[in-house]
Amino acid sequence: MNALAFAWRSLVRQPARAVLGVLGVAAVGALLLDMLLLSEGLVSSMRDLLDHSGFDLRITATDSRPGAGPRIEAAARAAAEIAALPSVRSAVALRFVDARVERADGTIIEAALQGVSEGPARPLTVLRGREIQQPGDVLVNETLARDAGLAPGSPLVLRAACTSDAEILPRITVTVSGTAEFPFETPGESIVAGSLGTLDEACGQSGAGEADLVLVASQGDAAAAAAAIQAARPDLHTVTNDELIGQFQASGFTYFRQIGAVLTTVTVTFALLLITVLLTVSVNQRLGQIAALRALGLSRRRVVSDVFFESVLIVGIGGALSLPLGILLARWLDGILKRMPGIPVDMHFFVFDPAALAMHALLLAVTALAAALYPMQLVARLPIVTTLRNEVVS
Amino acid sequence: MNGSPPRRAAAPWRPRQATARTAVVLAIAASASLGLVSGAQEPVLPEVLLSRQLAAAEGLQPGDVVQLAPDADGAGTRPFRVAGIYEPVPDPAQLGSLPRNVRLHLPDLLELTRRPGAPVGTEHVATINIAVRDPADAERVAEEINRRMPGVAARPAADATGSAATFRVLQRFHLAIALVTIVASTVFLLALTIMLVDERRETVGVLRLIGLPVRRILVQVSLEGLLIAGAGGLFGLGLAVMSEALINAYFQWRYDTALLFVRITPSVAATALVIAVPLGAAATVAASWALMRRNALRLARR
Amino acid sequence: MSAHAGDIIVQAAGVSRVFRMPAGPVTAVDDVTLQIAAREHMAIRGPSGCGKSTLLHILGCVDTPTSGTLRFGGRDVSRLPDAERSLLRLRSVGFVFQRFFLLPMLTAAENVELPQAEAGVARRERQRRSRELLEFVGLGRRADHRPSQLSGGEMQRVAIARALANRPGLLLADEPTGELDGATGEQIAQLLDRVNADGTALVIVTHDEALAGRARRILSMRDGRIDRETRR
Repeated sequence: MNALAFAWRSLVRQPARAVLGVLGVAAVGALLLDMLLLSEGLVSSMRDLLDHSGFDLRITATDSRPGAGPRIEAAARAAAEIAALPSVRSAVALRFVDARVERADGTIIEAALQGVSEGPARPLTVLRGREIQQPGDVLVNETLARDAGLAPGSPLVLRAACTSDAEILPRITVTVSGTAEFPFETPGESIVAGSLGTLDEACGQSGAGEADLVLVASQGDAAAAAAAIQAARPDLHTVTNDELIGQFQASGFTYFRQIGAVLTTVTVTFALLLITVLLTVSVNQRLGQIAALRALGLSRRRVVSDVFFESVLIVGIGGALSLPLGILLARWLDGILKRMPGIPVDMHFFVFDPAALAMHALLLAVTALAAALYPMQLVARLPIVTTLRNEVVS
Repeated sequence: MNGSPPRRAAAPWRPRQATARTAVVLAIAASASLGLVSGAQEPVLPEVLLSRQLAAAEGLQPGDVVQLAPDADGAGTRPFRVAGIYEPVPDPAQLGSLPRNVRLHLPDLLELTRRPGAPVGTEHVATINIAVRDPADAERVAEEINRRMPGVAARPAADATGSAATFRVLQRFHLAIALVTIVASTVFLLALTIMLVDERRETVGVLRLIGLPVRRILVQVSLEGLLIAGAGGLFGLGLAVMSEALINAYFQWRYDTALLFVRITPSVAATALVIAVPLGAAATVAASWALMRRNALRLARR
Repeated sequence: MSAHAGDIIVQAAGVSRVFRMPAGPVTAVDDVTLQIAAREHMAIRGPSGCGKSTLLHILGCVDTPTSGTLRFGGRDVSRLPDAERSLLRLRSVGFVFQRFFLLPMLTAAENVELPQAEAGVARRERQRRSRELLEFVGLGRRADHRPSQLSGGEMQRVAIARALANRPGLLLADEPTGELDGATGEQIAQLLDRVNADGTALVIVTHDEALAGRARRILSMRDGRIDRETRR
């Protein structure tokens, strides 16, 4: 009987404690997996969203967030100039303002109005109807279409709020050409997207021709495209998707990485301590047997490896169980965190990553070894004669 | 970000103040030498306060002269003297970013950011912070202001939306993590108590053989469980207090902030003990209960 | 290990064993010289604390003498490293304990297989050998029972079978009937006689006068020394 089979028999002999030990590791392992996923999940999800939009560079007037700093002037011309660069595939300018959509019954829906310049690609996906083709055409998201009872061809009355000054701009009526999905829309948000001209009209020509942001798709080399844009337009601020992710990692996402690291440490320590105690108590209850086996000629290595394999079995089986448990737990926790305001519908905090799974396995393996160290040492140093004598005396 | 406009919070967007903040970054570095020259002549300049982080980043000290501009292109710069360095109130929503802030007297800020040609007195401020004598009165005062001044929106600070909603979600998230930890701990606790109770099976068997009723033994086991759980709970609390100090020290150093990340209040401590102690005692009783149901003779036999 | 009667298996020359205690050193075995021949049947008796179990452990290479020389099969094993002593015990010495020390999670057959597996015996061979040994000790039908399903006497018989698993030349028994009643103890004594008759040297430490009386050579110990030797 090899050491693994022996360890299995030892565990099975005490089914209650073995099952509880395995379940405990499963619960802790699930939490560990989730914290590893959380560490990089948001970054990974953000990267996916940015890449999925089809644009890999963002240009603003300054290093402020789009909408928080000054706008790019003559944005359509700037976009065309950038699109003409050899390393750029396409460029589109966007401006964002708040708006109020009036329902047929006179009630108001707060919405976001965005103006998009013409170009071969836009940061949206048409779901129903058609693209914006003529002046006055707008696309709305499914939330607004549902709430306002809109369909392709419906008229839409809205009033924009374009500056910080107290002002009342006139209503404009536009036509819904279709519904679309916007990559960064948040749950419950209402979005209207039209041409830059439509937005200028809604804003009473205030800030006409300006944009908050120009999105750029490179020919494949974002860094080269960024350098070319910087050379052509040094007055503008260019950032690649990778650089943007880096900024988010340094600021907004840092909390989740930190809490992921803290909880990873806590769960590993927790599991380590408890498995060590489990094994140590188990070994202490069997000292007589172990001493007898040593007296019969079983080597020190053999009895030590028996203890090691017990740890491997508890952690291994518990670790395997922790995977489906961790996935379920991640879904629950993701659901909680996605209720944070401003989180896009398609962004997730927990994203499955093979690297996280590998790290999970590695940490559990190290935990199994480390937890077995003390009981292994107890067994290795067991004084045979004294133990046998104590067993008789007791 | 593309595809969706940034949602504006309840406070109106303040482009000029945001720009002023940004412009400081551009202007300060260039103006230090000017400040030294100007300092020799010591004109009477309006004063500003710099956040500690900004002062450290730019190597500025009280007495230095800085140039502030409302626009990124540096147009309209005006000199100010640094009167002091202040520690900004830590904002959890700004975690990770260094607060590079300048505080001006309101008339100076309005003067700096007034549009050319705009008459004095036509400026506006976004927010007025009010400290009421009795904080419990905040809601009533807000209602009174709203009633008397239709052009403003007053609300108690505790009702702030946006970032508060974020922290409510985080609170729920932490609670979920705590629940999972408690479940895992309970499972392990049960495993340990089963093992520890098993060590005493012979004693329990003998006690039952000599006539002690099961209830009597269970009461003793419960008391022991309560004692051990109580001691364990207090030890855990001590460990938590030590961890609190370590975690706060580390993250305050890491983010250069005075924010508290972990705070063990009497309520939190009480909740932890209320959960831990009965759990520990219950685990001991549950483990012993299984033992009590077995034949006393078998228990006593080694 | 095959040996002819008269071949010396173990030779102890002036062995002593001193235990360092907080209250001062305790000499458990004091300058003992003896030889154990193949097929010998020896009993060691004496009052409690006289050092008989300690002497047994030294003879079986479980413990090492503080001074003196111990030879096993002609080889000086006094200062052997632990790994080599384990190997020696595995192949050449069988132990039977007062408390049996069977592994509760293994069946009787599996308990007997364990030392064979450690010695590298092939699975089929060790299963055959285990059944054979259990038949020898009269428990052929209980091979698949666990220790909790056996009586005290049956457990000790399994322990004897386990001790014989690797065909040792020497079987050491420390109070083998200590936990058994009279009738069961007699059964064990008869079994041990058969083991010895089958060719295995037998050294028994015991308080049991009847058990000691079955030996052909009886050593009486007192205060760590051999006080008297009787042969019949």
